[in-house]
Amino acid sequence: MSDWALAWRFARRGLDLKFRGLRLLLVCLFLGVGALAAIGSLAASIDRELTARGSTLLGGDIQLAVAQRTATPDEMAAMQRLGTVSTTVRMQATAVAGTQSVPIELKGVDGAYPLYGALTLADGQSVRAPGPDAVLIGQALADRIGGKPGGRVRFGTATFRIAGIIGTEPDRFGEGFTLGPVAIVSNAGIARTQLVQPGSLYETKYRVKLPASADPAAAAAAFKQRFATAGWTTRTRDKASPSAARFIDRMGQFLILVGLSALVIAGIGVGNGVTSYLATRRSSIAAMKILGATSGMIARTYLLQIGVVALIGIAAGVAVGIAAVPAILAVAGDLLPVTPGTSIEVVPLALAAAYGLLIALAFTAGPLSEAGSVPAAGLLRGVFGTRRRNRAGMAWAAAAGAAILALTLATSDRPLLAAEFLAAVIGVLLILAAFGWAIRRGAAALPRSPRPLLRLAVAALHRPGARTGTLVVALGLGLTLFVLLAAIRTSIDANIARTVPARAPALFALDVPPAREDAFRRTITRIAPGATIKTVPAMRGTITGYAGTRVADLKTIPDDAWALRGERGLTYAATMPEGSVLSAGAWWPRDYAGPPLVSVDQRLADALHLRIGDRLDYSLLGVERSARIASFRRIDWETLGFNYVLVFSPNAIRDAPHNLAATIDLPKARVAATIRALLPLFPSVSVIEVGGVLDQVRTIVAGMAAAIAAAASVAILAGIAVLVGAIAAARETRTYDSVILKTLGATRAQVLGVQAIEYAALSAILALVSLALGLGGAWFVVTRIFSFAWLPDPVAIGMTLAAGVVVTMGLGLIGAWPVLTARPARALRQL
Amino acid sequence: MTATPSTDPTPDLVIDARAVRLSLGNGGASTDILKGIDLSVARGTSVALLGPSGSGKSSLMAVLSGLERASAGSIAVDGLDFGTLDEDALARARRGRIGIVLQAFHLLPTMTAQENVAVPMELAGIADAFDRAKAELVAVGLGHRIDHYPAQLSGGEQQRVAIARALGPRPALVFADEPTGNLDAATGVAVMDLLFDRRAATAATLVIITHDPALADRCDRIVTLADGRIVQDLTTGDLKPGNRPR
Repeated sequence: MSDWALAWRFARRGLDLKFRGLRLLLVCLFLGVGALAAIGSLAASIDRELTARGSTLLGGDIQLAVAQRTATPDEMAAMQRLGTVSTTVRMQATAVAGTQSVPIELKGVDGAYPLYGALTLADGQSVRAPGPDAVLIGQALADRIGGKPGGRVRFGTATFRIAGIIGTEPDRFGEGFTLGPVAIVSNAGIARTQLVQPGSLYETKYRVKLPASADPAAAAAAFKQRFATAGWTTRTRDKASPSAARFIDRMGQFLILVGLSALVIAGIGVGNGVTSYLATRRSSIAAMKILGATSGMIARTYLLQIGVVALIGIAAGVAVGIAAVPAILAVAGDLLPVTPGTSIEVVPLALAAAYGLLIALAFTAGPLSEAGSVPAAGLLRGVFGTRRRNRAGMAWAAAAGAAILALTLATSDRPLLAAEFLAAVIGVLLILAAFGWAIRRGAAALPRSPRPLLRLAVAALHRPGARTGTLVVALGLGLTLFVLLAAIRTSIDANIARTVPARAPALFALDVPPAREDAFRRTITRIAPGATIKTVPAMRGTITGYAGTRVADLKTIPDDAWALRGERGLTYAATMPEGSVLSAGAWWPRDYAGPPLVSVDQRLADALHLRIGDRLDYSLLGVERSARIASFRRIDWETLGFNYVLVFSPNAIRDAPHNLAATIDLPKARVAATIRALLPLFPSVSVIEVGGVLDQVRTIVAGMAAAIAAAASVAILAGIAVLVGAIAAARETRTYDSVILKTLGATRAQVLGVQAIEYAALSAILALVSLALGLGGAWFVVTRIFSFAWLPDPVAIGMTLAAGVVVTMGLGLIGAWPVLTARPARALRQL
Repeated sequence: MTATPSTDPTPDLVIDARAVRLSLGNGGASTDILKGIDLSVARGTSVALLGPSGSGKSSLMAVLSGLERASAGSIAVDGLDFGTLDEDALARARRGRIGIVLQAFHLLPTMTAQENVAVPMELAGIADAFDRAKAELVAVGLGHRIDHYPAQLSGGEQQRVAIARALGPRPALVFADEPTGNLDAATGVAVMDLLFDRRAATAATLVIITHDPALADRCDRIVTLADGRIVQDLTTGDLKPGNRPR
């Protein structure tokens, strides 16, 4: 019989179906792997959905979009040569029904729409583009205006008959973030509204169904290359909504890192659990050695035994991962951008299992190899001496650690961030371990107290076999996680609150005709005399080149250069806009008439390494233009005013047809009346309530915060499991102390007092350490990962920390209960 | 490391220990436990090791059984030079060669009586380990307890399982460290009767550590230790009421 077969035979005999002694290992691996498997499965199933249904979500194999214009005959001919073309128009508008007015996304579609998937009504009926006088409206719009099929609703100057309530808009995801519910009319219907005028802010999207053999990326690239200066933006079916996909991907990556941290924390529990388990098996190990078992046989036996339990924990975690997607869909499906299928995602599950195995190996290799070195002669003396550090065990642990790092870096699209994150987690653990060592040394150096209970409590921190190091790491982790979560949560909440600054306007208005600006202002001030109205010219355009670099030639867009992706709002101004501060260069004179100039956002300038005097190329209404960079500005994005990345000198773009955008600041009570007054007079103007937009933002950010909290809760649970395990492990020596103390006449309160003093001392020291570590970690997450402002609430964090101390103290004292209830006579017989 | 045959010219000796020293601890804190022990034990004999607590009896047994490596001197057991073997090689050397019975029994709590007895035979690669374990348990009068766990057995029964476990692989040498120390007098006598019977049946050499003069009297030879040295070495023929060690 081979060594492994024999070891398995011995291991099987020692296995206990109740997992006595190995429950901490089981729970920790289950929690860690479960979190990773669930997060990975959800992210992968969303990704699979995006990929599998890319054509449907985008509305075609490729999408070619252009702002404020339609395709020229030449461009249309080029598209038609690629495949079947469907034309859609999308713009911001206002739906008016009776006294109700609702900002909506108005979408015009042609007869070919949808090229993929089906446009269905709420009753499941599949439909095509409605007639010129008909509209299909979203459920949210129907709810707002009380609209029903057969009812009437007005957009711009035209009234439409509601032909049905939309059940499924197949390309909804590809449309991205929208300010309000959708209403779909035919392209002829769009023309009836008269909302499309020179200078109107609208976007025309051409979706193309390519032949099966065609390469979408090549087709899109060739089209863009041919009309390089015409301002086209392209998308392919594998990236139906790049920004949403990128957000989901980043969120998934972050949550996986959180899950991995939970698993690393769980690893501490795994290590502690296995160490405690093997400590209880020392006499059996020594007995086995007396009977002729080698250290290798011992290590193999316990490796198999622990491996089986670890595999059960990992399998249970993987099962959670499988069940997570349908469960999350049932609970929070509305927060997800798409509804993924419930297929089993093999790769993330395998990855979670691999992480679980590697963590188990990293944290058990040391104790396992030490188990092999338990001296057989220890049985004769009743003492086993101190554990010997084993090089093989350390080598295995290091190899597993390296494999975890390699796996994390290989599967992350932001390896540097992942490495920083892991380094931070390991750094926290090392700092806590160092504190454990320091507390032990410090306690040993303290003068002996004349009070016996205090002396015992201090001695418990440093005596041989004390679990101070483990307890410090476990307690410290728990408190650090409490602080971390509180700081992240309060920062995110404060960021949400800040999206409603006191000076935020109540209304935005788009497509105000410049010729009627005075009438527009008069209409508002008649209703709200004190209203502050600010207008700016509003155009849409794309940056096509900078400082000699063509955007089309860039393989990847730099992280902070989001302005290069797709269209941007463009404006011009004679004087510097409010909310901006000049950081370099000079603003042009009010009556400037020289070569075109542009002022650029400092962050974009930094990302692209721009310099004053560089040339910037941009496409406006299909025509490429150029301007020299005259200045850089720092923009206060939080004002919710008109913050443009690019502000041109008036002579650069004033000649292009354009409308005005307006911010209107007025009392809340006057908002509804103002909208009602504006819409009949200015049917082409879209008026948007800021409150509604902010609600959408709040919902998204709150969803993020909930996801972070859910993932971090697993880390906290793992931390608590580690703490409970550490307390349980320390119970054996405490029971001995307690029994001896009680035998000598100590009351239960006095015994409990010893423990309370010990935990209180540890908690007090660790509260400060955890505060620093938790705040540091939260700062990293809030500012580095989510680019939010660092706005923690000290009171809330302080209270959370206090609650954390109470909880950990409570756990410690609850853990002491069996020690207190140990009956001296019975316990002494067992000691 | 593999076991190498000794070049010892006296093959009838099952133990041949020369100038054995054992020091425990490090550097200045080390303690000399054994201070030059010379001991030869002929095959098939029984030897009692006597001596006060701390005299080095258990330590001598540890080095003779390969549980501890001697700090100096040479030890040959059943023809094997223990001085050249590392810890794992010593463990392998014990298989089928040395059986050990301890005061506190030290049965494996997660295994049944039969499994406990089978373990050393399984480690030694004996194919019918379970059948032989069962036969061994029947031989020590525990045929009705083979599927019982240690916790379900009395102290005397546990020690009988330990004896069956030690003798099951038919070792050349059996060590017993205070085998009756945890048992009442009557059970102790019964267990020792069994040990001597089984030893006779298997022709094993027996080295027994004890404080019990009556038990020592049953041995062929009594070796007395004090302060890490052999201070008296008597064979049965030498034993008279006046020189009986106490």
